Amino acid sequence: MATDNNGFQIVGPKQISAPVLSEQTKHRLPSVSFAILGMIVLGCLLANVTATKDPSYMDLMNYTKAPNREFLFGTDNLGRDIFSCIWYGGRISLSVGVIATVISTVLAILYGSVSGLASDMVDTIMMRGAEIVLTIPSILLVIFIQAVLGEPTTLSIAFVIGITSWCSIAKVVRTEVRQLRKSEYIVASKCMGGSFFHILIRHLGPNFISAIMFMVVMNMRSAIVTESTLSFMGMGLPLEVISWGSLLSLSDKALMTKAWWIIMIPGLFLIVVLFCLTNIGNWLRTSVSQKESNL
Amino acid sequence: MKTNKVVYYLKKLLIFLVSILALSILVFFISRMTPTDPLQSYYGERTEKMSVEEKDRARERLGLNDPIVIQYGKWVQNAFHGEFGISFKYKQDVKIVIGKRIGNTLVLGGVGFILTFVGAILLGVLCATHENSLLDRAISTIGTITSCIPEFWFSLLLIFVFSVIWHVLPSSGAYSVGKEGDLLDRIRHLIMPMIVVIFEHLWYYAYMVRNKLLEEVRSDYVSLFKSVGINRRRIVFGHCLKNIMPTIVSIMAISVPHIIGGTYIVESVFSYPGIGMLSYESARYGDYNMLMVLCMMTGIVIIFCNILGQIINEKIDPRIKANEITERSEVSYGDGQ
Repeated sequence: MATDNNGFQIVGPKQISAPVLSEQTKHRLPSVSFAILGMIVLGCLLANVTATKDPSYMDLMNYTKAPNREFLFGTDNLGRDIFSCIWYGGRISLSVGVIATVISTVLAILYGSVSGLASDMVDTIMMRGAEIVLTIPSILLVIFIQAVLGEPTTLSIAFVIGITSWCSIAKVVRTEVRQLRKSEYIVASKCMGGSFFHILIRHLGPNFISAIMFMVVMNMRSAIVTESTLSFMGMGLPLEVISWGSLLSLSDKALMTKAWWIIMIPGLFLIVVLFCLTNIGNWLRTSVSQKESNL
Repeated sequence: MKTNKVVYYLKKLLIFLVSILALSILVFFISRMTPTDPLQSYYGERTEKMSVEEKDRARERLGLNDPIVIQYGKWVQNAFHGEFGISFKYKQDVKIVIGKRIGNTLVLGGVGFILTFVGAILLGVLCATHENSLLDRAISTIGTITSCIPEFWFSLLLIFVFSVIWHVLPSSGAYSVGKEGDLLDRIRHLIMPMIVVIFEHLWYYAYMVRNKLLEEVRSDYVSLFKSVGINRRRIVFGHCLKNIMPTIVSIMAISVPHIIGGTYIVESVFSYPGIGMLSYESARYGDYNMLMVLCMMTGIVIIFCNILGQIINEKIDPRIKANEITERSEVSYGDGQ
């Protein structure tokens, strides 16, 4: 705020230069986030190179050791090397995130576009249905479905998270489709006998994809959180399947032995990944809205 | 005009009732589809030693042998009389078990909810009035980081620092043994769960307030007021904030499910005896009667708040036919519950 010394203030739309500048900085590619995320992903993919030990080997001579030169991030209560567990566990945690997101996105696009193209009544019923599913706290829904499927595995947990988290994307897809469905090119495509999937892939998809990209990234973020929360609470992946969440499920014992590294290190990796994803998501969102305002 | 309004509210009421009916069917059938053995929660370890006939008799007695549709019919009938059956695990009327614990959750969730929004509004105003300053950017960065920390991990961190290292706060429960009536003791137990509940949601809503307010201060009347000589504080609090209040209220209504979902996890980590932990237990061990009541309770609150949010939105802007704001706020926080 520009104030001059007489206590008067200059009023009016003259301070526009500041926000414009910030717009520019806001839409900058979050290169740091991409770089960090890329490094972590690469480290996990090449886990057999990055890891210094066999992650599932329980070194009973060296359990609950603080970080030192041999065990870079220390060992957990079972004597597993945390440094190696992080990279191998990251494979599981990140792939749960990716698979769950793919499942939920595909479901959401199908459900949303069917609902958007359907008649008003079918549309209302489908959307109410989605809302009702949203009202069940998703953690309970996940517990139910996981119980139906039996012992959790990486794939089944990704599947469960995927099929419980599509509702909000579906609603956005539906809104977009509803706006688009009367456009000439879609009517034309229908008249020429274009099938549902043809219209979806050729005409609808390219139009709504930018609107949901942000949500897709955010969904990946929440899938990773859900997996780690479930594994932590003992309802997700068992201890033998190493993921960032299941590493943290040992934290009860870690609390008693004051082994901070067992809690801190997997958690920090988790947060860094989530933070990078959030930054990328926000960048996608602002770049989309920028496009819209220019139209 | 008046009949229009009546029809409008009747319509909303109808949607509310149908949603609740659908929810009850959904939860009833899904929970019974799971292979979890409810006898396990009733008899505990003893189930393994029971013979097939004994199990069968027990099922018969608990009404678990009827076809599922008949079970549901019976449940609805009883529910209308206010009878929700007994909890298999606690062998007590469901209402009594829930009654003992609901207070704890209401305190945690309710106070957490209020503090979250008071904090969010203050923080949002602070950031908006110092737009793009160092303060704003610092708060934004810290806020984004806090919203990325998973609830359970943040809880662990607090337990580690305050209970294990410094021994200043208790790590679990709602009160120490034998100190049920001691208010101070209860508050001490409440601090950490409350901090987690608040911090997990604070920045998300503060950010919304900030952005809404930034849009608002760009409007022409702000220049007018400034040229008339009204000071900034009065403009921001007396006018801008007042104008965006309806939006904030509708966001508050929609945020209820997220905060409820958040308390579930927090309660489980801190073994805080509230209904969140109870529903987690009952879902895991097949305590059907309990589960139904808990799901219906949270469902009713959530559906009610959603409809309330819609009504407020439609009041503010009659053009919104679809629940657009609902969608937007669900965009990034459909998670973590």
